[in-house]
Amino acid sequence: MNLTLKIWRQENAKAKGHFETYKLNDISPECSFLEMLDILNEQLINDNIAHPVCFDNDCREGICGMCGLYINGRPHGPDDGVTTCQLHMRRFHDGDTITIEPWRARPFPVIKDLVVDRSAFDKIIQEGGYTSATTGGVPDANAIPIPKRKADEAMDSASCIGCGACVAACKNASAMLFVSGKVSQYTLLPQGKPEAAIRVKRMVKKMDELGFGSCTNTFACEAECPKQLKRTNIARLNREFICAKVCSDEK
Amino acid sequence: MKLIKLASITKKLAVGALAAFLLIFLPFHMGMNMCILRQDGGEWYRNVCHFMGTNYIVKCFEIILLLCIVCHIVITFVLWLENRAARPVGYAVSQKSKTHTGSKWMIYTGGIIFVFLCIHFVDFYFAKTGLTKGKYVAKVEKVDKAFQQKAQALQQGQMDEKQMQALQKQYMAIQSIPAEKRTQDFKYFVNLTKEDVNTYCGEDFKDYEPDFYNMAIDKFHNPLYVLIYLLAFIILGIHLFHGVVSVFQTYGLMNEKYAKAIHWLAVIYAIVIPLGFAMVPIHVIALF
Ligand code: HEM
Ligand code: SF4
Ligand code: FES
Repeated sequence: MNLTLKIWRQENAKAKGHFETYKLNDISPECSFLEMLDILNEQLINDNIAHPVCFDNDCREGICGMCGLYINGRPHGPDDGVTTCQLHMRRFHDGDTITIEPWRARPFPVIKDLVVDRSAFDKIIQEGGYTSATTGGVPDANAIPIPKRKADEAMDSASCIGCGACVAACKNASAMLFVSGKVSQYTLLPQGKPEAAIRVKRMVKKMDELGFGSCTNTFACEAECPKQLKRTNIARLNREFICAKVCSDEK
Repeated sequence: MKLIKLASITKKLAVGALAAFLLIFLPFHMGMNMCILRQDGGEWYRNVCHFMGTNYIVKCFEIILLLCIVCHIVITFVLWLENRAARPVGYAVSQKSKTHTGSKWMIYTGGIIFVFLCIHFVDFYFAKTGLTKGKYVAKVEKVDKAFQQKAQALQQGQMDEKQMQALQKQYMAIQSIPAEKRTQDFKYFVNLTKEDVNTYCGEDFKDYEPDFYNMAIDKFHNPLYVLIYLLAFIILGIHLFHGVVSVFQTYGLMNEKYAKAIHWLAVIYAIVIPLGFAMVPIHVIALF
């Protein structure tokens, strides 16, 4: 396959970025998207054309959430329910132009090229994405029996890998799907219940402080989430927030 | 940058609550308008308008309604600004993700509704408050009573020459009132301009009301106005479809079990309400 790549290049967080166009020939359709970028970078280095294009990645099997790229107007590219590292070049056609941009959101500043700083998510997690009973040994996994349905629901919500595609896809750069996944996974299980109110209050407050937008129920997040978290998580977050505001005096 | 220092969800809850009031109000307004569809020379519609214009509970609701609209617009506009600020650098390729119908256009459909509301206000509410020229209706019974009082004063000799002449002129005018300025049963003088009110009801007669029936029918004779009217309600339908789904979601009343039902409720609401309003001009064009 022969491709034309339009890639965002930006020296550092402060520099002004721009798009650079590269031609790439003889790419195998079996190649993964990130392998394709590896090949590009090898060429850029070997032919002494430019510095390699920086992009984040780690596991390359869809579990770490590092590899977010905004490809032709969609986070993680044209496939539903996959991360960029799971995307393959067979989804494109010979002669295609592919535009690759970093996530765009005020709380996710670009560090270099396609790499953004997603530590805003960590700051939200620090506000309550945990349970704080820390004494004693490791509890037995099945000490508290949980009905299968609830366990499954909590597991679905917990499958969020923190990739940030929901923020990238949202016209408001809202982090509601991410936050709702975290709030849900704890709220649905008995261990998370005692801190449910304080958790949702703190996490929402942090989310707002960091400059994420609010939810207009556009559901682009749901469409783009590689782990297919559902919009019902956001409804649960809203519900939990109302309950916490009305029923809890914890700050 | 937060323009209103409340949690994002709290602001959304406020928008939703204000919108919910509007959503409940709309069917009432629609029902009222649809009284025009009865071919009774506007009797039902006149009665409803009289009730709406004079009842004190309705007047309280009118103020609440106005506040709701204003606050809805202010908060949604603030949210829109805040949300834009959350993405200072945009994407080069416009977003291709699947989104909920209407959700991306809320500020635009809302803006168009706002323009329509302004026209609506100038047309009807301003006439009511006397800021613009409208058409008026007066109950014959009341005109008669005022006339009788004056006639009594005349008998008791408490009137000067000028007042007497005025009274005579009014009597003559009523005798030859054209058919389109009264109802068939002679219960109401309708379709009156301000001058007509003076002529037929007397200079100091205060008990007249805006004749919304004839004002509406006048307006709907203008095809351009009807076109704008119909377009505005299609736009409203789009705003309402997302709006209904959105209120349920914002209040956390959405789950897998009810998602389908809420979707269909929104579809039905967003079709029935605009259609109900739209039937009035269509009826007027077809029949008058
Ligand atoms: C008059 C001008 C109007 C403007 C500018 C306007 C604007 C908006 C905007 C921008 C939103 C999205 C808010 C968000 O998701 O954050 C919205 C939501 C909504 N609007 Fe309007 N609107 C207007 C009138 C109306 C009217 C007349 C109604 C109903 C009768 C209505 C019903 C709704 C509903 C139900 C929502 C959803 C609320 C939620 O997301 O919780 N709007 N409006
Ligand atoms: S909710 Fe989905 S899209 Fe958002 S961070 Fe988690 S995995 Fe990524
Ligand atoms: S690199 Fe880990 S999810 Fe893609």
